[in-house]
Amino acid sequence: MADVSVIGVGMTPFGKHPEKTLVDLGVEAAYLTLMDAGLPPKQVEIGFFASGLASRLFGDFTIGQNIFWGVGINKIPVVNVENACTSGSTAFYLAYNAVVSGQAEVALAVGAEKMYVPELGLLNSGQTELETQLGRVAPASFAMRAIRYMAEFGATSEQLAGISVKNRRHSSLNPLSQFRNPITAKEVLGSPMIVDPFTRLMCCPNADGAAGILLASPSITKGMGRVVGVDSAVLVTGNYENPQDQIRWETDYRGCRTAYEKAGIGPEDLDVAECHDAFSICEILHYEAMGLCPTGEGAKFAARGETTIGGRIPVNTSGGLLSRGHPVGATGIAQIHEIVTQLRHEAGDRQVEEAKTGIAQCMGGDKEGDTKSCTVAILSV
Amino acid sequence: MDAKTSLLPPVAHGIFSMPPYDDAPPALLGGYCQDCKQNFFPRPKYCPDCLNIPQESALESTGTLYSYTTVRIKAPLGLPSPYSVVYVDLDRNGLRVFGLFDPQVGDQLKIGLKVKLAVGPLGNDLKGQPCLRPYFRPMKSN
Repeated sequence: MADVSVIGVGMTPFGKHPEKTLVDLGVEAAYLTLMDAGLPPKQVEIGFFASGLASRLFGDFTIGQNIFWGVGINKIPVVNVENACTSGSTAFYLAYNAVVSGQAEVALAVGAEKMYVPELGLLNSGQTELETQLGRVAPASFAMRAIRYMAEFGATSEQLAGISVKNRRHSSLNPLSQFRNPITAKEVLGSPMIVDPFTRLMCCPNADGAAGILLASPSITKGMGRVVGVDSAVLVTGNYENPQDQIRWETDYRGCRTAYEKAGIGPEDLDVAECHDAFSICEILHYEAMGLCPTGEGAKFAARGETTIGGRIPVNTSGGLLSRGHPVGATGIAQIHEIVTQLRHEAGDRQVEEAKTGIAQCMGGDKEGDTKSCTVAILSV
Repeated sequence: MDAKTSLLPPVAHGIFSMPPYDDAPPALLGGYCQDCKQNFFPRPKYCPDCLNIPQESALESTGTLYSYTTVRIKAPLGLPSPYSVVYVDLDRNGLRVFGLFDPQVGDQLKIGLKVKLAVGPLGNDLKGQPCLRPYFRPMKSN
């Protein structure tokens, strides 16, 4: 039995929730997670709440306590977490560490975000940072990776569009996903150009939503059904060295390699993967960092259908950020929610046959041509 | 740059040298650690390897375009729409720096383009006032 296991997951539908506050969404996800595990709230011994943007959008802080009390959790240590797009998966990482270290028998991680608000512009890495003042916005960072990748390896806009088409097809099978109507490559390429070479449908949409995950030690999980083991949970930070190779992304490769080493497996052992497809090029770069295919082969790998449900290693069966939507604080947990759902064989029409081992990779923030944060988790049954 | 625009404030202090303040061409101001023989941009307060204080150094103002993109949605900070940003591999010191590209000649963007640093009025500062920004533009020799 694994040292740490997932005993419950829960998630609100991702989309527009104008009638709900951030706390409403977080409470709902926490409730669904506890109900999924069948565990009373007083048994939770530590809680982590993640939000990437609440302080900026609403001026709210230390809201984790509000959310946990909303499901009857009080008195225990509660920590509020912000780590850009990896806020949720960082909360998961901290919950994992709390259990694996023996600090707690049961740990709850919840991530939530409310992004459909009028004042949200393009995300950047902080108003006061020099690069922001020189015009860096998040899509531009990935667009420069895409243009370089296309030049080095001959990848095409049609191949980038193919990632969006695949993830939307997966999304059409996920009732919790935001955009579920299938799209064609022609529609992707014909949507408005946002940042060359990305059209709107190659960029992940905003969303409101929340997700939760409950972790427990073997003394709790003994005799429980539907348990999924956590083989590794890794968080790494950028190296910020100059020059940064925008294709062979050292921080991404290092995060994935560390997760494989700790889990004692390799990419050939995986059955299903979720990764941070904020823009369609990201998924291609992450295939390569995760070792699903050699560097430079990612675009062709996807075009051959290897990462589609039914292919060799289905990626983003949930619909990914591109279709599920990207409520920043919730995304990292939503990815693990999907892997757990697949490994429990509860994914319905999008179920990957005989899925036993999965990976969830996430990244957050820009700094000096690198990422600020990269998380990788490996789970198995 | 004429006398009037040269009175505009820089987008941030200490990141580029300002003609006609001196006669040299505009340059990004980075840091150089004499102990580690390392170049940085921007200049860190402390060298990340030895924690000594890097000295200010004017970086090579020419380089080669590593990658680029054009932002076609509403531009932040009063920048023109569309505007382009680039990574430039500076000649000699090995640094790959992020920056703006001359919005007048966005159609010339391509990997491998030889570029040179310029400074001029481009967009607004955080207070919403027009300001000077460094940007790259194609060299005549392309």
